[in-house]
Amino acid sequence: MQKDLETKFLSDFEQNQNIAHKICRVYTTNQSAHNDLFQEITIQLWKNYPKFRGDSKFSTWMYRVALNTAISLYRKSTKTIKTEDISEIAYKIKATDYDNTEEVQLKALYKAIHKLNDIDKALIFLYLEDKPYKEISETLGISSVNARVKMNRAKDKLKNILKP
Amino acid sequence: MDLLDNYKKAWDNQPEDAHKVSSLEIYKMAQSKSSSIVKWIFIIGIAEFVGLNSLYFFIDMGEAMKEYEKLGIENFVFYSQIAAYIILFYFLAKFYQNYKRISVTASTNTLMKKILKTRKTVRNYVIFNLGYMVLIIMVVSIASINMNFEELNTKQLLLIVLSTLIATLLILGLLWLFYQLLYGILLRKLNRNYKELAKLDSTI
Repeated sequence: MQKDLETKFLSDFEQNQNIAHKICRVYTTNQSAHNDLFQEITIQLWKNYPKFRGDSKFSTWMYRVALNTAISLYRKSTKTIKTEDISEIAYKIKATDYDNTEEVQLKALYKAIHKLNDIDKALIFLYLEDKPYKEISETLGISSVNARVKMNRAKDKLKNILKP
Repeated sequence: MDLLDNYKKAWDNQPEDAHKVSSLEIYKMAQSKSSSIVKWIFIIGIAEFVGLNSLYFFIDMGEAMKEYEKLGIENFVFYSQIAAYIILFYFLAKFYQNYKRISVTASTNTLMKKILKTRKTVRNYVIFNLGYMVLIIMVVSIASINMNFEELNTKQLLLIVLSTLIATLLILGLLWLFYQLLYGILLRKLNRNYKELAKLDSTI
């Protein structure tokens, strides 16, 4: 039984790893930081998996663990992560099979997100991922009302940065 | 349409990350934890070596040597210290080697073996340090008993032996506690990693 559970974790994680990659893109601006965060998220997910009882979807649980890992790690190393350092974000986004205007938009979006604080990053990320407020509040451990208020503020900040 | 809605479309259409991580790579991620623990074992080993040796700056070695000469064991002390330093350097090199090797390990199986090896090195290191301590105490006390043998009666002799034994045990206990604190925590963490790896290994 235990063995089945672990195989399941590995396959679930493999399928949902893009969630972790997107979070890494939101919180880091270069490849090595991306890999470090990805690794830390992997370790945290693996460590916490025994506590995951399957009362929510794996992906929901993964959002929560991964985002909290990113936030706590980001807090520890605010000095090492420079928000201006966006030149390397291009490393991720490939032009092939991909609309050029959207590529430009996506880069601008990441650039703007990198200027937000750690919590606002999480809020905007969850908004972009179409998460309902109930899930957002559970993921970040705040009340639904609070999530709404904070979300509106975060969106305003983002819009201000994105404004031409 | 909201300004953000435009960007949201771009977000939804963003390509997946080029680097897909396979389940096989997960154990490599757990592995780096082990290598950082082993690195700390190496660093603490060096710090301990430097720290203990700098104690000699505060102890009057000339005075101590005179005492040893009185007891007639100055040769023993001199050579045993040289031997001890060689062995200590050997252990430091071992710690470093463990750290270097564990950083480049590619499979769970060899990593597990290396964790076990590191644990063994640390254990031997502690045993050596404690053993050396006991040897020195024994030699010094036997030498001092020998020197004063004529003047002592049985009762006094027994008392000296007993008090030496108790002092030795006390020092050993303290040293053991010291090492438990220094390396025990790291070894426990390493052990936990080992168990996680063992679990992973059985699933892949």
